[in-house]
Amino acid sequence: MTISRRSFTLGMGALGAAPLLRPGLARAARTDELNILCWEGYNTDDVLGPFRDLNPGATVRAESGTSDPDMINKLRAGEVKVWDLINLNQPWARGMLYPEGLIKPLDKERFMPFFEKMTPEYGSPPYPLAFAEDGELIGMPQRYGPFSFVVNTDKISRATAEEQGWKLFLDPAMAGRYGILTYDNWNLIHMCLTADLNPFKPLDEAGFAAFGDVAAQIFAGSKLMSDDLVAMNTALINGEIDAYFTGGTYTASPARLDGLTNIRGITPASGPIDGKGGVVWAELTSLVNNPDPSPLAPDFLEFVQQPEICKAVGFAEGTYNPVAQMGDPEVFAQWDEDELDAIQWDTLEEESANSVEYDSVADYDKLMEIYTSARRG
Amino acid sequence: MRQRERQLGALYALPLGLFLGLTFLAPILLVALFSIMPEKVFELTHMPDFSAYRVVLAQGYWKSVAWSLFLAALATAILLVVCWPLAYAMAKVFKRFTLVLTIGVVMTLFVSENIRLFGWVLTLMKGGLIEGYFRHWTGIGFDAPLYNVPVIVFGLVYVYLPFMLFPLAQGISMVPDDARQAAFDLGATRWQILREIELPLAMPGIMVGSLLTFVLAAGAMAESKLLGGRAVITIADEVQTAFTYGQNWPLGSALAMVLIAIIGSLAIWAISKADLDAMMGRKS
Repeated sequence: MTISRRSFTLGMGALGAAPLLRPGLARAARTDELNILCWEGYNTDDVLGPFRDLNPGATVRAESGTSDPDMINKLRAGEVKVWDLINLNQPWARGMLYPEGLIKPLDKERFMPFFEKMTPEYGSPPYPLAFAEDGELIGMPQRYGPFSFVVNTDKISRATAEEQGWKLFLDPAMAGRYGILTYDNWNLIHMCLTADLNPFKPLDEAGFAAFGDVAAQIFAGSKLMSDDLVAMNTALINGEIDAYFTGGTYTASPARLDGLTNIRGITPASGPIDGKGGVVWAELTSLVNNPDPSPLAPDFLEFVQQPEICKAVGFAEGTYNPVAQMGDPEVFAQWDEDELDAIQWDTLEEESANSVEYDSVADYDKLMEIYTSARRG
Repeated sequence: MRQRERQLGALYALPLGLFLGLTFLAPILLVALFSIMPEKVFELTHMPDFSAYRVVLAQGYWKSVAWSLFLAALATAILLVVCWPLAYAMAKVFKRFTLVLTIGVVMTLFVSENIRLFGWVLTLMKGGLIEGYFRHWTGIGFDAPLYNVPVIVFGLVYVYLPFMLFPLAQGISMVPDDARQAAFDLGATRWQILREIELPLAMPGIMVGSLLTFVLAAGAMAESKLLGGRAVITIADEVQTAFTYGQNWPLGSALAMVLIAIIGSLAIWAISKADLDAMMGRKS
C-alpha cells in the first residue's frame, strides 16, 4: 500500500476527529486521577499522603467544602464530571444526591464486610441510612456525633442543661446569654424540637405557627449569630455567652482538646420524638456518578477503613469526631485518653441513645421560609 | 477612507468585545434567566413564571435590601468626611510622604478582608486585645462593642477606606491652586472656597469614590457576619442562604437581580453626572 500525501492527511484528520466522535475511547480510563469533595479531614496529608504512596503516579486531589449544600451545588453545576467521591451528611445523600442521579451505588460485596467491625449503632444491623429506599448501598459511614447544643458547664451544669433540654433557650433569664451557630438546616431541626415538633414529619398549620414563634423568640434572645464554630467557642470561652444553640461534639471538641473541658456538647434527656430530643449526624462517603469514573475511588473508600487512617480522618485539623469504625479494638486503640475526652467518649453511647438520626426535614422549604423571615427580624 | 477606518476599528474591537461580553455579561444573563424560572429548579429548561420575584416581594426581603442600602449610604457618607482631609493632604500637602501613605493603605489590601476583620474581632472581643489588657490593669471589665449595627458600619468604613481615599485624592489634585488663591484674594471665606471652588472641582473624584464604596458596601456581608454577629441580615447574606441552605437558585437569582437593578441604576445615574474625561485629565 502506498501512502500518498493526500491519504496521509486524510488519515491524520480522521485520527484527530475520532476523539470528538467517541469521547469514551479517546479518554483513557482515569486510573491516574482521583478527585474528592469532602468535609475537612479527608483532605489532610495524613490521609492523602499514604494513599498517594500506594498509588505513585496518580494525582489525588481533595477539596474541603464549607457546607453540604455548597458541595451539592458544585455537582449540580456540572462538576459530576470532575469529582469521584463526595463526603457529606447522610440526609443530603439519601434525600437529594441519589434520587437526582448525582451519586451511584457501591458494590455491596466489596463494602458490606466493613460494617461487621463498626460500633453497634452502625454495624449491627448495618447503618440503615447508608442505604437508599431501593436497598442500594449509597455510601460508607465513618464520622458521626451527637449534635444538639453546647454549654459552658461552669455557668450551666451538664445536669441542668440535659434536664431543661431545648427549653433552656426559651428561658427569659437566658436572653442575651446565648449565641446561634447558624448552620441553617440544623437550626430548623433544633427549633422544631424546641417547639416540641418532629421536624422529620410533615407539620400542620399549628405546627408552623409554633415553629415561627419559637424561631422569633430564639433569634430575639440571641447575643450573636455566626456560622463559624471557632467564633462561637471563643465567645463561650471568654464569657460573652454561656451556651450556643446548635452544636455538639463536632464543634465543642477543638476547645475540649485544648484543655477547656468546661465546653461541652449537650444532648437533652428528653424530647418530642418518642421521648428523644437530641439528634445525631453521620457522614456518608459516596461515589459520584462521574461519566468517566476513576477506579481509584472505591479503592480510596476501602483505604479509609484502615485503623491509622480512621484516626487521621476522625482527628483531622480543626474538629475531632468519633468514627463508626471505633467498634474495632484495633481502631479504638489509636485514641489516647485526652482525645477520647475531647470527643466526650464517656457519654457518647448515652447521648446517642437519647438522639434520633439526622434525617431530611419534611417541610424544609416552608420552614426555611419562616426561619429566614424570623431571622431578618 | 473614514468609513473604512471605522469598520476596521469595529473589526479590531470585535475579539475583545466578544471576550468582555462572554465574561461580564454571560454570568449576569445566566442569573437573570434563573431568576424567572419556577422555584427550586436547577435547569433553565422550564417555563419562566417569575414566581421568585413574587416571593421576594411577599416575604419581607425589602428589609434586607433596605438595611444593605442604608448601611452602604451611611458608610459612604462617613468615608467622605473621614477621607476628605486625608485625601486633601495627600494631594496638596504631604508631597513625598504621600507615597508612604499610599503604600501603607494599599498594603492592607494584600491581606484578605476576612482575616483583617477577624483581627478586629480579636481586638474588640471580651478578653481580647483592648478589654483583656484593660481588665488586667484596672480590674474593670466591660462588654465587647461587637455584635451590633455601629460595629458593622465601622467594619464597612475600615474595609472600603482605600476605595474612597484614592479617587478623592485624585479629584482634589485637579483643583487648581490658582483658583483657590484667586478666591482668597477676592475675599472668599474658607467655607465659601470649600463649597464653591473645591467641592465642585473635585466632584468627579467624589462621585467615583462614593460610587465605588457604595456599590461594594451594598453587596458586603463579611462585616455583618464577622463583626456584627448577624445583627443585621444583609441582602448578600440572603442571596447566599437562598443558593446554599435554601437550595432555591431562582430565589437567590431574583434577589441578586433586585440588587443589581438598584445598584446598576444608581451607578448609571452617577456616571452620567460625572465628567469622566475631566477625571482622567483629558481636556474635551
